[in-house]
Amino acid sequence: MNKVTKVELIGDVVVISTEGYLNKDLGEEIQNAANEHIQNGVNKVLINLERSNIVNSIGASILIEIIEQLQDTDGVLAFCELVPIIEKTFKIMGLTKYCESYETQEIAISKM
Amino acid sequence: MTFNNKLNYLKGQLGISNIQFVFFQKKTSFKSLGFLEYYNQDFPYYHVELDGFEIIKKTNSKEIQFNSFFNFYSNNSALLTNIFLDKKPIGLIFLPLINENSTEVRSLIMHFRSQIENQLIIKDLEQKLSITNKDLNNKLLEIESLIDVTEIIYNQSGLKKNLFESILITILSILNASKGMVLLKDEKTGFFNVISSFNILKNQLPNKIIRITKGVLKELNKDKNAKIIDDPQNYEILKASENNCIISPIISGNTVEGVFLLFDKESRNGLIKFTQQDLRLFDSLSKKVSLAYDNIRLIDSLKNSNKLVDNIMSSITTGIIMINILGEIEFVNHSAKNIFRVNQDDVINNHYFIIFQNNLDLIQLLESSEAKNEIIYEDNFKIQNSEGNPHEINLTLSPVYNEDNERSGIVFSFEDLSGINKIKSTFKKYVSGNIVDELLQNESSLELGGTQSEVCVLFSDIRGFTALSEKMKPSDVVYLLNTYFESMIEVVFSNNGTLDKIIGDELMVLYGVPLKNNNDSQSAVKTAIEMFKALDVFNKEIEKQNLPQLEIGIGINYGKVVSGNIGSKRQMNYTVIGDAVNLASRLCSHAKSGEVVISRSVLDRLDNFEGFKEQIPIKVKGKSQKIDNWIYSVV
Repeated sequence: MNKVTKVELIGDVVVISTEGYLNKDLGEEIQNAANEHIQNGVNKVLINLERSNIVNSIGASILIEIIEQLQDTDGVLAFCELVPIIEKTFKIMGLTKYCESYETQEIAISKM
Repeated sequence: MTFNNKLNYLKGQLGISNIQFVFFQKKTSFKSLGFLEYYNQDFPYYHVELDGFEIIKKTNSKEIQFNSFFNFYSNNSALLTNIFLDKKPIGLIFLPLINENSTEVRSLIMHFRSQIENQLIIKDLEQKLSITNKDLNNKLLEIESLIDVTEIIYNQSGLKKNLFESILITILSILNASKGMVLLKDEKTGFFNVISSFNILKNQLPNKIIRITKGVLKELNKDKNAKIIDDPQNYEILKASENNCIISPIISGNTVEGVFLLFDKESRNGLIKFTQQDLRLFDSLSKKVSLAYDNIRLIDSLKNSNKLVDNIMSSITTGIIMINILGEIEFVNHSAKNIFRVNQDDVINNHYFIIFQNNLDLIQLLESSEAKNEIIYEDNFKIQNSEGNPHEINLTLSPVYNEDNERSGIVFSFEDLSGINKIKSTFKKYVSGNIVDELLQNESSLELGGTQSEVCVLFSDIRGFTALSEKMKPSDVVYLLNTYFESMIEVVFSNNGTLDKIIGDELMVLYGVPLKNNNDSQSAVKTAIEMFKALDVFNKEIEKQNLPQLEIGIGINYGKVVSGNIGSKRQMNYTVIGDAVNLASRLCSHAKSGEVVISRSVLDRLDNFEGFKEQIPIKVKGKSQKIDNWIYSVV
């Protein structure tokens, strides 16, 4: 099903891993998970979408909200392990202008 | 610097720091300009349009109770004017005045007002642009989804489940649906089954028989267009829906073969209804899928037909070679490959000139068929396979035509006669060639099994051969017998006799089995007389080789026999048994050298019995009554 499968703090980056359809529900779950850490001063969020192979525009718009939140604190949001169809949707929705996408989680963490 | 800061700066510079605003409605553009604090929804005079500037007195403001909204500070009057956007008043500017008649203040207010109005116009445009951008992005996503669906369809390999799963996910995400499923008709039962589902719990999947004649599918089947269902709770198969659904048929050959169902459109603020615009896009995508599905079914059906044709073509013994309009071989079946001893890869797409280069006559025939555009038949046509072995075939060259009735090639079909010829030549050792040919042409004339029939039976044997053979070398005996039988059997076959068996020096010949002739008795008698003539020739040849001359006697009888395969499972012979056979044998025994003894039953059937003389009835073993007989003597 659609859910956040893991939230872990690696160094100064909070890594949120997901599974399933990145729609409103999962988007909000990601947002809540990110908010908990942002409130504690973390401003680097990495979303690992390896196990999500579908996204809709509502899910994408929630991610834009997280980007805006992080921009207020000079933070950064990044993605890793995107499947091509999600990468394409993010590009069309304009997300890729404001955040990086990395091939693997390790690369992402090392570059963030 | 934000616009609000800029305004405050201007207020200070222009000395109008007491300036106040009220907006008649809440707008994002006012907020973005920092005017949020000036919006007052309790202000009772929304949409007041003033005639230019108005002076409001603090003390006699009867019509408008401004005191609670604006601050006159220490002044007794204030200047009031509208803020416009798109020529409509959207708010008010309120400036407490010391000098009511100051033109300088009015000019400052005008300048200030135009600053605000310009900024509002810019912000409004920015917002519209942003909305347009968002719409464009959504349109772009829709276009991309159409491209994605096209790609999925184009790359599909005929696996229905995978195809529909991929398409479902793509359509679901572009329409922001929460969940969805695909139903597909089972061709055997006609029921619709869930072939793919997304984000639907197992217990929410339909678990009853779904028919096109019931429920929501019945409605869908009426006009066969996508539709929005606002009351999903009324339909069993839509029980996974919490809000509304959008469903569309997958049509093939004007019948509903499947259904796409999407449930519950998402928005940032929760579930919303699918719109007419969604319906249009969904309908268009479904129709695209329908076309693809139609193609899949068509391809499947073609594959099955081709498989069937291939199976038939492979199993038949007739060789089939299809040659296209360019003279290239397009198809060759198993039998044809076997006869010509060629491999599929060597033949396909090669010109028949190359493949049949050792068969110039065949090439000529093919050229002739191409030129004349007519069917050519050839019997006993000689060909040579790739290994140089000769074959005899019966061939047909048929021109073939396409849908426009234009010639598209030739079908070369042929029967290999090698097997038949082998059987023929073996069979001809026992039966005359004429009978073999007739049997092969007219199979129904061949009666198998234990059937009773009337036949003419001829026995001949060599007189005194046992004593003769004892004095000869075994090799000479064999040579003598073989030469003798060859000569006699030749006569038998030339008269359409069937060699039943050779028993020692005895020949048993039948007339009337397996094929009846007009006068089998006459043929038997003719055979007997010719046998003596042939024996004369034989004896003269044998004499030259210092071998002893032979003498024979012949008996012929006509009567009822039982014919069929007689023997054991391991070995059986087609023969005849019965009294008529025994009597023929007895008559043969009775015949002296150079005599043909016939019974009455034979005589009665002869058109010409010249030379036969009636004899005294004879007593034969196994018969209580004496037998009438006639003898023809060559001596």
